[in-house]
Amino acid sequence: MGKDGPGGDLGRFAEPALLILVSLADGPKHGYAIMTDVDSFGATAIGPGTLYGALARLERRGLIEPLGPEDRRRPYRLTGAGSSALGDHLGEMSRLVQVGHARLRAANG
Amino acid sequence: MSAPLPAVSAVLRAYPRRWRERYLAEMRALLADREPGWGDLLDLARGALDARLHRLVATPAVLVAAMPRKEFIMPTPARPSYGVVASPPIGELSRRSFMRRMLGVGAGILALEFLGGTIAFLWPQFRSGLGAKFPIGTLPDIVAKQATFANGWPYAYAPARAFLINVPAAKELALGREASVPNPTADQLLALYRKCPHLGCQVPGLCDELKRFTCLCHGSTYNILGEKLFEGPASRGMDRFAVSIGDDGVVVIDTGQFTAGSLNRGPAALSFVDAAPYERKCR
Repeated sequence: MGKDGPGGDLGRFAEPALLILVSLADGPKHGYAIMTDVDSFGATAIGPGTLYGALARLERRGLIEPLGPEDRRRPYRLTGAGSSALGDHLGEMSRLVQVGHARLRAANG
Repeated sequence: MSAPLPAVSAVLRAYPRRWRERYLAEMRALLADREPGWGDLLDLARGALDARLHRLVATPAVLVAAMPRKEFIMPTPARPSYGVVASPPIGELSRRSFMRRMLGVGAGILALEFLGGTIAFLWPQFRSGLGAKFPIGTLPDIVAKQATFANGWPYAYAPARAFLINVPAAKELALGREASVPNPTADQLLALYRKCPHLGCQVPGLCDELKRFTCLCHGSTYNILGEKLFEGPASRGMDRFAVSIGDDGVVVIDTGQFTAGSLNRGPAALSFVDAAPYERKCR
């Protein structure tokens, strides 16, 4: 994962950050909605502390932005930079997936 | 299993203030939806540590610039207002800053006192007490004060806590003979420290009967040269100070130059054997 990917500089929060970006890709969500969404598709669940650690980092880097609060919950949405960073990173990952599968097939083939 | 609410609140309080101002309301909303478990509690604690170790919250200016204006509502905690507080006239101290300053001054004085006391405690004593040089007078002065010094009787000099021994005369005395040596040389003088090497009692003067020293505390017995004899628990002989005679004839006991008494035990180790049996002590 490059420095410029969504996980760059995010340390331990690299994977949660990616999961959050994916979760926000289909529209703004607040914290609890992100958590349940990630639970439904992610391999790992993320706790509330991890979630907000990653949210704060993503916000600082301008990849997501907060919206006005609804009730007490505050939804977040992808920024333009966030969505292009996610696209780049997913592209990188899918290349990795293709190469990995191809090599596995060749080895087992 | 859900974690108790006070524990959750405590962990949330561990987040830094700026973080709480920015995120606390929404985190509480999330936790209200979720019923946090123990795993969540641990995760929050790690998050709090992370937030304290890294500056994660964007500065408000950045936040404002990054956001659509209308939608941005920063949750501001309600603060009680005490009204307008009158500030002191320019050039005058407020009561509060005066008290603060006085607290600082007090702490400074206390620190200085500690420092001064420590230095005074560590300062070596040159002029008096153990470690000093004691001029105790010329030999004629000493004999004038105590004529028996010439006959071998120890001269007790209290300020140095020492016995001055006229060695050749003392040996004759302890052997039961009469002698008069009014002018011993410096190397014929011996200064015995009167502190018993057993537990530190002051050793009393020579006893008439045996011409020995016996400590009153536990009966440690020494011959007239301070060598430990059979009786008593002391593990060594009496300690000795350096003695010299100056050009002006004044005898000086230097309590800074100290020789511990001999550890050698038994009659064979003695440099001088007096007339009394080895095992006897003064009554």
